[in-house]
Amino acid sequence: MSLDAQLAAYLTRRWQAPVEIEGLSRIPGGASRETYRFDALVGDTRRPLILRRDPAGSLIDTDRRTEFEAYRTAHGRLPVPEPIALEIDGAELDRPFFLMQRIDGGIVTSPFAAQPFGAHAPAIGIAFFHALGTLAALNPAGTPLGSLLPAPAPDQCWRVALDHWAAAILRDEAHPQPIVRAAIRRLYRHPPPPAQAVRILHGDYRSGNLMHDGAGQILAILDWELAHLGDPLEDLGWAFDPLWNHFDPGTVCGMIPQAQAIALWEAASGLRVDPAALRWWQLFNAVKGQAIWTGAAREYRGQGCIDPILGISAWYTARRHDEILADQLQRFGDAA
Amino acid sequence: MTPTLPEILRGNFMSLAIPATPDMAGQFMTARVSVIALLNLLGAQEAERGTAGAVRENRMISDLLGSAPAYAVVVPEPRDAPSPAAIDAHNAALRRALIALHEAVEQRGDDATEARILALYAAMAEGRKLILPPLPG
Repeated sequence: MSLDAQLAAYLTRRWQAPVEIEGLSRIPGGASRETYRFDALVGDTRRPLILRRDPAGSLIDTDRRTEFEAYRTAHGRLPVPEPIALEIDGAELDRPFFLMQRIDGGIVTSPFAAQPFGAHAPAIGIAFFHALGTLAALNPAGTPLGSLLPAPAPDQCWRVALDHWAAAILRDEAHPQPIVRAAIRRLYRHPPPPAQAVRILHGDYRSGNLMHDGAGQILAILDWELAHLGDPLEDLGWAFDPLWNHFDPGTVCGMIPQAQAIALWEAASGLRVDPAALRWWQLFNAVKGQAIWTGAAREYRGQGCIDPILGISAWYTARRHDEILADQLQRFGDAA
Repeated sequence: MTPTLPEILRGNFMSLAIPATPDMAGQFMTARVSVIALLNLLGAQEAERGTAGAVRENRMISDLLGSAPAYAVVVPEPRDAPSPAAIDAHNAALRRALIALHEAVEQRGDDATEARILALYAAMAEGRKLILPPLPG
């Protein structure tokens, strides 16, 4: 049965009314799920939807329930699409999936684009880091995601995160990586102060995971598949990684200067950025990046090298992160 | 290093040779072809400079390992006739020795040797660099 027929069967059962599917088309929406856009016609109503379905292999092995509950948590608080349905066992679609509202007319930029926001970069930067601060201000207790995930103790956030990604590198590494291994040892030897608060983290908060309208407005913050609870400085450190600066070292995420982003985040979150803690989380995020690219290399080769997104992740971004790690190791050492 | 250039180029061929399903037409396939083109562009750089870069890295690591007699490091020698795969295998052996040396240096608190190792890391990363041209936004 074709995917649109499967979708029609599923939604007809779920909504207890005949559903037709129009315009089903796969889109490049993240590397860890197959993403499709389509319209569901039920009676006189046309519902624009997005399907996120587990692939056979992916860049990151993540739990789709976590992503779905992250959307439920953020919806109404931040610009995110409304989640519609989650099917862990795959239902009529064979593999686990979830559905969410589709937001049309927006632009999602490539991390390799120069000046992706043009003259609107400052406006988008202000909204982007205000939104991240708003997320960091939210107490996870009682939220859908906070009810699902374990909360680490404030003084264990760093260890939980580092243990996870260090283990991923040791598991997936095919060629010895002395630079990232040195960074991992450095991070264990010099832990950061305890988190000021344990909060919900997006986990992949960067310029390529937002949709904007081309006129300075953020329409949606996407790709919550790495959401978890932890030290909110982790998200800030990831957004500040030079990999995402769009060839403009004077800005973060190709948007605004880092100092301005910190001020916006502090104002929205009510938290403070300790420079020493931020330095730790920035080096940590370079390790996390390298862990993701190392996993991408394993997956790419395991699939016969047919997914070019995994290929570019395993190759260009891995080497770029070695540069970033080597630079940060030297600067971290100077300041330690 | 993984993936290797032959793996990338064979993969690019295969990803275009495998028939696409109808729902992949349009935006998805356009993005896919763009990334394949990008991989080919970087592949040209690697074909031009990759082997020389790997040989240079091997020499730099060998030099550093050889200049740390206090740590009784055994410097791995190449085992096969020069080829990209043999150079890569030698590189893996050298990198393993470098990791062991760095761990020993950290345990002793030998800041001078550690500074040389960190400088070597920067040179290694620079030597493997792939240059991505800024793409239109």
